[in-house]
Amino acid sequence: MLNYLTYIVAAWIFLWGLYGIVTSKNLVHQVVCAAVLQTSTYVLLLGIGFKVGGTAPIFADIPVGTSVVDPLVQALMLTDIVVEATVMALLLSMVVKSNEVAGTVDPEELRVLTG
Amino acid sequence: MTATTMFPLPIAIPLAVAAFIALSGKLLGRRFSDALAIATAAANLWMTISILRATWLQPQTYWFGNWWPRAHDVALGICFTVDSVGASLAVLASLLTTAGLLFSWEIFEDTENHFQPLMLIFMAAMCGFSYTGDLFNLFVFFGLMSVAAFALCGLKTLEPAPLQGAYNFGLVNTVGAFMIVMGIGLLYARTGALNFAQVGRSLGSSSDALVLLAFLLISVGYMVKAAIVPFHFWLADAHAVSPSPVCVLFSGVMVELGIYAVARVYWTMFQGGLAAHTRELRAILLVMAAITAIVGALMCYAEHHLKRLLAFSTIAHAGLMLAGVGLLAPKALGGFSLYVLSHGVVKGGLFLCAGIVLHRLRKIGEDHLHGEGKGMWWTAGLFLLGAWGLAGAPPFGTLLGESMISDSAKEFHQAWLPYIFMFAEIVTAGAVFRATFRIFFGWGEPAPTDRSSQIEEKPETDEEEENVPAVMFVPAAVLILLGIALSAVPNLRSTAEAGAQLFTNQFTYAQAVLQNVEPAAPALTAPEPLTSSIVRSCIALALALLLALGSLFHKRIGGWLKFTHGLELGNPILRKVHSGHPGDYVAWLSFGTALLGGMFVWFLRR
Repeated sequence: MLNYLTYIVAAWIFLWGLYGIVTSKNLVHQVVCAAVLQTSTYVLLLGIGFKVGGTAPIFADIPVGTSVVDPLVQALMLTDIVVEATVMALLLSMVVKSNEVAGTVDPEELRVLTG
Repeated sequence: MTATTMFPLPIAIPLAVAAFIALSGKLLGRRFSDALAIATAAANLWMTISILRATWLQPQTYWFGNWWPRAHDVALGICFTVDSVGASLAVLASLLTTAGLLFSWEIFEDTENHFQPLMLIFMAAMCGFSYTGDLFNLFVFFGLMSVAAFALCGLKTLEPAPLQGAYNFGLVNTVGAFMIVMGIGLLYARTGALNFAQVGRSLGSSSDALVLLAFLLISVGYMVKAAIVPFHFWLADAHAVSPSPVCVLFSGVMVELGIYAVARVYWTMFQGGLAAHTRELRAILLVMAAITAIVGALMCYAEHHLKRLLAFSTIAHAGLMLAGVGLLAPKALGGFSLYVLSHGVVKGGLFLCAGIVLHRLRKIGEDHLHGEGKGMWWTAGLFLLGAWGLAGAPPFGTLLGESMISDSAKEFHQAWLPYIFMFAEIVTAGAVFRATFRIFFGWGEPAPTDRSSQIEEKPETDEEEENVPAVMFVPAAVLILLGIALSAVPNLRSTAEAGAQLFTNQFTYAQAVLQNVEPAAPALTAPEPLTSSIVRSCIALALALLLALGSLFHKRIGGWLKFTHGLELGNPILRKVHSGHPGDYVAWLSFGTALLGGMFVWFLRR
């Protein structure tokens, strides 16, 4: 059961993030929900790389054959964070602009483009 | 210098120049930055063409830092594996970027908005996306491409419409990106590898729940980019508000790259596991393709905002392209690659023409422009040629691509598919014909108005000018004429099919990447006669013209032809669904994913 727990938690966070984005009435809130959605990818990657009893994968000062956690997932996660942090910043800056230009952060009121 | 060492250059050089322009653009001045960006894009075009020639039916791999697989053929490093399909997509990306940058010579007076660096980053990311042989690398280039695209889309930040369009685009695509990361994570958990060939080899023929879930997440993520219904909502909003040169890249190559990625991950990694269920998967993908083509075409005809009209036609044609991939056969995939190239240049040219209209007439809505374009005969001619190309009629290259996909569909007893293509071609070409006749000839009744054509788009240029500058007209004309020139390349269809055979062979792909075994060049097969396709496309062209004339003169003609007017008014339900609300779009995305996942579980697990 414990093996599956991280996957269940990741799916749980993912679905709540989606729910938040779909029902959001405030653009700032919506971007934050997307950030919540993103944390589910962290949980998933953590769960994949983790090894019970493993130590940090720094091979300079540990004996050969020591059990270590997977060093690759942190690189994936770091890239993921960098890419998506840029996107979040960009989205938030658009929200700020929309508050300045259109005077609203409600996606319902910002609908210029439809149909 | 061998060809492989050249592979990173089309990514590295534009990125370096982009950083340089972004840092010192103010010192250099507007014109110098422009010239530098155009020169870089043109150099990229030259490099990608040389790479295409070097990898012509002969895929090659470049290992970064010389980390080639040494022991047990296990790939630890990151590689670029370039084949004909990927290489030609990179050529298309560089070509359209060059055209877009040339076009922008006259627009955007200030350098504050970082237009040129963003375009160069966008181009570099698209080249990397088509070259890479690594699953995570694909995602990184996807991310880079997306960020540049969001920023380019929201360039005109002083109006609410671009903000809404760029925000919807960003949000929906970001949710898609998270799905891709999760899919990659699952695949890595199973195989411990990220190289396409390595993952494919480790997966072997397993097709359990985890593999299916990973395939679902990754393909949905890329289908969001590819604007496949019901993941397509962002596309029209983003196109309606982007500067014209940016629309060229969005419609001409970015959407196509999404479909390319689905094809790439399927054939390098999942095809072994899903081999037993090819028929079911084909059925699922073809249904999606057909729905996309129909929805795109119907919405296209109901639009009167020129860019939005063209955007929906891209969705319809994306359905056609998905069918090329979804038939899961080399011939159809060859047709896909030809169609992408010829559609890309034609649609790119049409968007530049829309940019010319905005520049000269200061408006973009068909209902505001009735008869305003009289005298701009050259531009009108380009529009007519472009519509001709969308109809897939000879001598355009779109005919060749479409005929290969249709032939392949018949081989798989899917004879209904060519009629869907025909429908999409008639309606999308008809819409462009209708707009051209109205704007440049002043024919028929004024257009009924719709909400989106009321969006005020600020003209991209400062002053009204009497003539169309050459830097605007020439790129548009060259792109559309290239759509014709493409079909003059000898042996085009058989070469495309041979390239697709290499693309779809998981075994030789893995051998080439992991063991450096050069795959045998496939024999060129004689292409099937084009007669039936030519007849069909000429009928489509005639019907498109009739459709356009029907809705222009709907008051004078009576009877059943009045339906053309109904088509122009659009389906109210379909219109309402395209609500412009980002939450709704993500809801559709979730719904589509769940539906597709359900179908995967139902059909692909027995």
